[in-house]
Amino acid sequence: MIANIKQVEDKDFNIKRSAEDERKLSYKDHVCIGCGICAKTCPVEAIELGNIAAIVRTDANISKININEEKCVLCGMCSVGCPVDALDLTIDNVSVSELEMYPKYTSSATIDDETCIYCKACEVACPREAITVSRDLPDRSKLVSGEIEIDDETCVYCGICEELCPAEAIYVTKDPENPEIVVDTDACVYCLVCKRACPMDAIMAACRSCSYGEYDIDPADAVTTGNTFIDDELCVRCGWCEGVCPVDAAKVQKPFEGELLVDEEKCSTCGACIDICPCDVLSFPESTGFGQTSAKIARDQEYCISCGACANICPVEAIEVKRTAINYTPTKSKSWTDKLESLKS
Amino acid sequence: MELKVNQDNCLGCGVCVVACPVNVSISPEVEGGHGSKTEEVIMMVENGVIKLFSPEKCNKCGTCQVFCPTDAIWLE
Repeated sequence: MIANIKQVEDKDFNIKRSAEDERKLSYKDHVCIGCGICAKTCPVEAIELGNIAAIVRTDANISKININEEKCVLCGMCSVGCPVDALDLTIDNVSVSELEMYPKYTSSATIDDETCIYCKACEVACPREAITVSRDLPDRSKLVSGEIEIDDETCVYCGICEELCPAEAIYVTKDPENPEIVVDTDACVYCLVCKRACPMDAIMAACRSCSYGEYDIDPADAVTTGNTFIDDELCVRCGWCEGVCPVDAAKVQKPFEGELLVDEEKCSTCGACIDICPCDVLSFPESTGFGQTSAKIARDQEYCISCGACANICPVEAIEVKRTAINYTPTKSKSWTDKLESLKS
Repeated sequence: MELKVNQDNCLGCGVCVVACPVNVSISPEVEGGHGSKTEEVIMMVENGVIKLFSPEKCNKCGTCQVFCPTDAIWLE
């Protein structure tokens, strides 16, 4: 029989078998969320889940899962079942996620750059730091509706305007021999604080149009441009970006639907579930006031991907994650369908 | 991974004893800061230092390590 070869590199590893076709299973530890779906669905019980809570909470230098290469048959079940693609089986260098005969989750996350206003709300909210928003701001000087001029004859170089200027656009040199006042017109925002404060009334305002009318700003000059990037490897399709987006530019399709239940009686608020959750769904609730009691664990159910990592690691079995739907591409194979459907609870 | 203690580091504060979810489920009175009524728990403070009684019951959640102020209890 052809033996499997395992290559370990730090916390990642590959298991390879070269026969008629070359099968290679790769595991990336930094992508793994520790949900344990791979270990539960492996048909040959080759996958062992580590002490996930301890590994995540103590930064231990150990892989979250271990696969026994002598038991592994390189079937690809774990690769298909992994909701975040931490495991990937390739056959002759093609990932099974690209092969039609294998099912795959229809989960995705996209941000439409046409609609996006580059506010960065998603970048801040993303629990996996998977989103990068780069933006180019408009040229500020083009958005300013006027300019100021200083009458050198009247100015006494007191420096009041310089101290007040919020844009640091005025420089005053108080040299008695050779005093000077300079305005940086690129920095000036035409707020006219200087004009109002000048004790000598030496500052003149030159409005480009009319102070009360429409600014003479070309709308094209006022546009912020940019682009967004989602790191597919880190993204867990939790939906935070969609939830916080003010213009509905982010769209997320989750791999599973379901609900998360916490048994208040059993929970002892150790916080392991909060630390493991890849989607920032769980948190300790804020106090609502003296003498008020709230739930032991607060939940943003909307962003739960029903991966089950919290339920797996809860030391007192206080959490239950019920999966009610699995979203995947149709497959003709009954065994693949049965396996994926078995993830429902 | 295994639960380890270093009694030389221990201040005997008992935070691990009350924070451990398994301890609390075995002996609920420890949650309120009382001494355990049974030696069935994972750990207890005895003579001012932490002592393991039933480390095999540990679920490796790491809560004791997270709370211990002096690295006297950890998973390795």
